Amino acid sequence: MKRSIRFSDRLANWLPRLVLTPSLLVVLVAVYLFIAWTGWISLSSSNIVPRYDFVGLEQYVRLWSTPRWHTAVANLFIFSSLFLGLTTGLGLLMAILLDQRIRAEGALRAIFLYPMALSFIVTGTAWKWILNPALGVQKVVNDAGWTSFVFDWISQPRFAIYCVVIAAVWQSTGFAMAIFLAGLRGIDNSVIKAAQIEGAGLPLIYRTIIVPMLRPAFLSVIVLLSYVAIKSFDLILALTNTGPGSATEMPSTFMYAATFRRDQMGVGAASAMMMLMTVAAIIVPYLYSELKETRDGC
Amino acid sequence: MAANVRSRHRQHATGRALIYGGLLCLAAFYLMPLWVIITTSVKHLDEIYAGSFIGLPKEITFDAWRSAWSEACNGTACKGLKPYFINSLIMVVPAVILSTGIGAINGYVITKWRFPGSNFIFGILLFGCFLPFQAVILPMAQTLGFLGLAGTLAGLVLVHTVYGIAFTTLFFRNYFVGVPDELVKAAQIDGAGFMRIFVSIMLPTALPIIVVSCIWQFTQIWNDYLFGVSFTAGENAPITVALNNVVNVSMGRKEYNVDMAAAMIAGLPTLIVYIVAGRYFVRGLTAGAVKG
Amino acid sequence: MNRPKNILLATALALTFAGQAMAQTTIEGLHVWTSASEVGALKVLTDKLATMGFVWQDSAVGGANGANAQQALRTRVAAGNPPAVMQFLGFEGLGWAKEGALRSLNDLYNKNGWQADLPPVMLQFLKQGDDFFATPINMHRQNWVWANKAVFDKAGITPPKSWEELIADGDKLKAIGVTPIAMSDEGWQIEELFESIVTDVNGPDFYKKAIIDLDDEALSGPEMVKAFDLLGKVRGLHDAGYTGRDWAAASAMVANGQAGMQIMGDWAKGEFLAKGMKPGIDFLCFPTPTATPNYKFVFDTFGGFKINNPKINSGQDAVAEAMMDPEVEKNFNLIKGSIPARTDVSMDAFDDCAKRSFADRAEAIKNNAMWGSVTDGFAVEPRFSGVFLDVVGKFFVSDMTSQDAAKALVDGINNAR
Repeated sequence: MKRSIRFSDRLANWLPRLVLTPSLLVVLVAVYLFIAWTGWISLSSSNIVPRYDFVGLEQYVRLWSTPRWHTAVANLFIFSSLFLGLTTGLGLLMAILLDQRIRAEGALRAIFLYPMALSFIVTGTAWKWILNPALGVQKVVNDAGWTSFVFDWISQPRFAIYCVVIAAVWQSTGFAMAIFLAGLRGIDNSVIKAAQIEGAGLPLIYRTIIVPMLRPAFLSVIVLLSYVAIKSFDLILALTNTGPGSATEMPSTFMYAATFRRDQMGVGAASAMMMLMTVAAIIVPYLYSELKETRDGC
Repeated sequence: MAANVRSRHRQHATGRALIYGGLLCLAAFYLMPLWVIITTSVKHLDEIYAGSFIGLPKEITFDAWRSAWSEACNGTACKGLKPYFINSLIMVVPAVILSTGIGAINGYVITKWRFPGSNFIFGILLFGCFLPFQAVILPMAQTLGFLGLAGTLAGLVLVHTVYGIAFTTLFFRNYFVGVPDELVKAAQIDGAGFMRIFVSIMLPTALPIIVVSCIWQFTQIWNDYLFGVSFTAGENAPITVALNNVVNVSMGRKEYNVDMAAAMIAGLPTLIVYIVAGRYFVRGLTAGAVKG
Repeated sequence: MNRPKNILLATALALTFAGQAMAQTTIEGLHVWTSASEVGALKVLTDKLATMGFVWQDSAVGGANGANAQQALRTRVAAGNPPAVMQFLGFEGLGWAKEGALRSLNDLYNKNGWQADLPPVMLQFLKQGDDFFATPINMHRQNWVWANKAVFDKAGITPPKSWEELIADGDKLKAIGVTPIAMSDEGWQIEELFESIVTDVNGPDFYKKAIIDLDDEALSGPEMVKAFDLLGKVRGLHDAGYTGRDWAAASAMVANGQAGMQIMGDWAKGEFLAKGMKPGIDFLCFPTPTATPNYKFVFDTFGGFKINNPKINSGQDAVAEAMMDPEVEKNFNLIKGSIPARTDVSMDAFDDCAKRSFADRAEAIKNNAMWGSVTDGFAVEPRFSGVFLDVVGKFFVSDMTSQDAAKALVDGINNAR
């Protein structure tokens, strides 16, 4: 009797760990072991199939001597910062507007959310036409009488990446809005009322009281959006196919082309490692601070 | 006094006008691509090639929709998107249920049964969110081949479940952090065990976050192309792979109207999920997912 | 009363037979053909296979200039589950053959003497070392100009004799309010133009030296700079809406008379024929202008992976035999717009453009003026052809000088070596 209690106690102690173990093992293999494999390939001479030899940092040297990779890295930073900033800002604005006891809120919410639901393989085509100077916005405005109006970013190598940003913002803002809206709904109305009684206007209340209270929502939005930004892949392929020239190349498209189209698996793996290191440099400190906070009993 | 009220009224009215104006402008911007997609899908192909990419159709036809659903060719198999739609359904349901279930129990352990290192394990799981999937395709293919699951829908379900765990665990962990520990302690005193507490206390409170997790996973898995094209073949392909084949023709003419209709058909389940469950989505997020 | 029963019985029997045939051998083919004409052509092949007792199981993966299919193939091989036969273009098959992954077709080649029926320059894409690993079914010509006859007449121009003349004709076309060249800013479409210019202006021997042998001097020499200069002049001849336009939409512009001409491989022909236009009457097809006639080719092949299963191996053989069947090649190419790979197929049923392509090819074989298109992966290994795509695409859309572009080619090639 005593023994069985002790056994069940011990089981109860170990059960949580046992339950977590399969997930941990699977992730260790499917994430970390595979990263290690990629790291190994990046040090090998692999071209069409994996080759398990060792050539040192040759592939990294080759990678960084490729002009297209430099474009890809620059684009990643332009794209990510603009995408994160605009999506967060616009999402917050939409959430605040929607939170003003609006009629037809449900319909508007659906309108802002639907782009997430559609595959970019085809919405990319629609955007391609809209942004095309001879077919889309520019033509419509020109036909309406403003003939000097020019909006041809998509054909300008220097500006095409901003078109990608526009389409990406369009696709993901609804999600940010939903999270912010949720955050706003979670805020006690009495806080706002109290401030209003003291004579503060709505803009001031939002700026100084409500937005700071949304900090957790901001964190969720940024984690989820960074995930989307890193994965931006079919977006590029469908909208610009990395053109004009290779002006909208991104690390994910670079890696894909190197590995699967150009028979440079080693270079592809090296670019994947560079991407992972960048992500780790940004995400690991964030995770660390987040988790430390929890440990402190937050 | 009266003047003051009136001016406040006016201020209020202009404020409301601004809010509605802003929202309507945004809505118009958001609907623009949908407008292009839908008008194109009901145009005749010749009309499109004559230069009418944007604008109203001269004549409305639903041929493209019929063709996309039951006739469009994916290689030599001209059965439309229907069979692949069914493949996707067969694949997405178990993948969503499995990944959400695993995420729920992981979140429960990490928040309510903390043990030394549990936070570290959470961090390890979470980093998986940020893995560029293009990098893991080949080793994953080798693993699936080793498991005998290469080219099957079961293999695809496994892959989606594995890479879904990171996000679902994050969702549930953030939700369960907000559930008071006392609830669990009280149940323990009443003699409830690990599983009992999970099933009869945690899960019922977790309904909103289950909705969020399911919607997120459903969208991600349904719209995935990369894994689909890598780990299935031919008749087992999910709808995104078939859609890509309908849309991406190399040395032949593009049937834009069929493409657009096909895209709408492929997106319909997620659209429905967003429209029907959209309210619960925001409610679920409100209830906890944003506690970061 | 009896007859329906009999029919039912007969159908049932037929179905049983069909069922047995199916149960016998299914051959899975992975390929990139997804458009109506491509699939229609493929059906000719699969119908033939059916009469030989094999069922074709289709795995089509389109898009991304073949990268999607290559990715699918690599994952399939990594998983130990390769398709029975795979479509290869250019160097794609050679890479796998070098890895020893493909089955030798030497027995079939020796038995049928296929080598003799094919243009010799094709063989290097079918053979690795001593082993044949693939069979071809067609040949596309890449260096074509497609022109609207009515527009040419209105502008008072005839097919130009040189690139300088072609560029000068552009002004005459502009004068009557027509876009001279229908094209796109997609890298590969620009590259097709570029490689035509390189070959036409400097001759096929230079193309061989610079782009196939990757000779540093030729790559950065004055000939290459001149080619870039000419490509730069084409910039003024397209319209503002060329961004992201797909090639079939560009063909439609020529067919509609919105544009004068398009430089594109002969897969574009179908766009004109589909509108009921007749070659020589409504539209013109002529090779890109040059003093040194040349023939740039692209062709489709299938090769089989080593699979330890005699039934599948016999199916792989059947695919090769069906592809090399003159009747299959004829009917396949009538639909696809290309010409047969075999040099001994009667061209009577084909249109004038195809006949011209066939005749020019025979001439080019004699003059050693026939080379693979770099754009489509028939000149150099993929890691090098990617460099051409990058540099040419970037040159065309930016203010890069011709000298810098030529230098970027050399640097890029050496970096990829």
